[in-house]
Amino acid sequence: MVLGLLQGVSELFPVSSLGHSVILPRLLGWNIHQNDPYFLTFLVATHLATAIVLLGFFRRDWVRIVRGLGRSLREREIAPDDVDAKLGWLLVVGTIPAGILGLLLEHKLRHIFASPRSAAFFLILNGFLLYGAELLRRRAPQTSSDDDARIARQVGWRGAFLVGAAQAIALVPGFSRSGATMGGGLIVGLSHKDAARFAFLLATPIIGAAAVLKLPELFGHQGSGVRGQALVGALCSAVTAYLAVRFLMRFFETNRLTPFAVYCVLAGAGALLYLVLS
Amino acid sequence: MPRHPALTALAVVAGIALIVLAIVYWAEPAGSLPSWIPGHQAGSGHHHVKHGIASFLVGLACLVYAWFATGGKRSAHARS
Repeated sequence: MVLGLLQGVSELFPVSSLGHSVILPRLLGWNIHQNDPYFLTFLVATHLATAIVLLGFFRRDWVRIVRGLGRSLREREIAPDDVDAKLGWLLVVGTIPAGILGLLLEHKLRHIFASPRSAAFFLILNGFLLYGAELLRRRAPQTSSDDDARIARQVGWRGAFLVGAAQAIALVPGFSRSGATMGGGLIVGLSHKDAARFAFLLATPIIGAAAVLKLPELFGHQGSGVRGQALVGALCSAVTAYLAVRFLMRFFETNRLTPFAVYCVLAGAGALLYLVLS
Repeated sequence: MPRHPALTALAVVAGIALIVLAIVYWAEPAGSLPSWIPGHQAGSGHHHVKHGIASFLVGLACLVYAWFATGGKRSAHARS
């Protein structure tokens, strides 16, 4: 339950869910290793729950986006005034590099950087990355209304590709996917709220696809004995993910990434100090 | 979308080649892959499913690019 609750929050907060799920069990003295098959199976269930929550939260947007994609394919062009189609293809362009890098590098990186110490170190770097994005961000208006036209106009193809590729950094435990995409969004000129919205839309297919790809492990022999725990974890994760996305969409109407940057540096430094001394 | 016939033709060829490569990855174990294909491991019975998905996605992206580059009602009207 604790890991499920934690996963739901930290998957969407820009603080690295994978980093927390590597560090926290060690700090609490739990005998869990992130490369254990049953733990990976557990993560699959919580990721699937998070993806479903994101899909549900932005369901109206996704319906419009999918219709826009279909319309543009039928017309064989992206009409300048078709915001849904443009946003849809921006999400596709952003998802492809992250998906390919994830497919090819996930296994290797997960094994190389599996230790809690390295996760704590990268959590500190994640804090600096978030703060750096705040320093480098272009002037963007603070807006309270959802306006996909603004995102579609501001991001552009190259921006979408780079922001999407930045998600791959989250394969290293300690770096945050949503932090990388929100930071990237700020750098290409989005407001905090638009950057968060684009990051969550971009996260949905990636998190969902990663979970669906590993579903056979959940329902196969690796899932034997942990499906009950995985289901409870997934439900807890779904609840906290829903609360997290609701909170963050309001939070970024008026706030910045700085509090998360400070948290990452302090939590990472504290964890690293404890792990080195203990 | 600006028209680049050579780039479009290249995208079609690359798209088809990558989708064929994806099918090869899914169908053949790592040991049976030609040695010049990434992922070849002599004697291995492992199927590179993820390599296949990555190859398929890039191939599909190339074909989608070609689809847009060779179509467009409004741009066709604008040209006429």
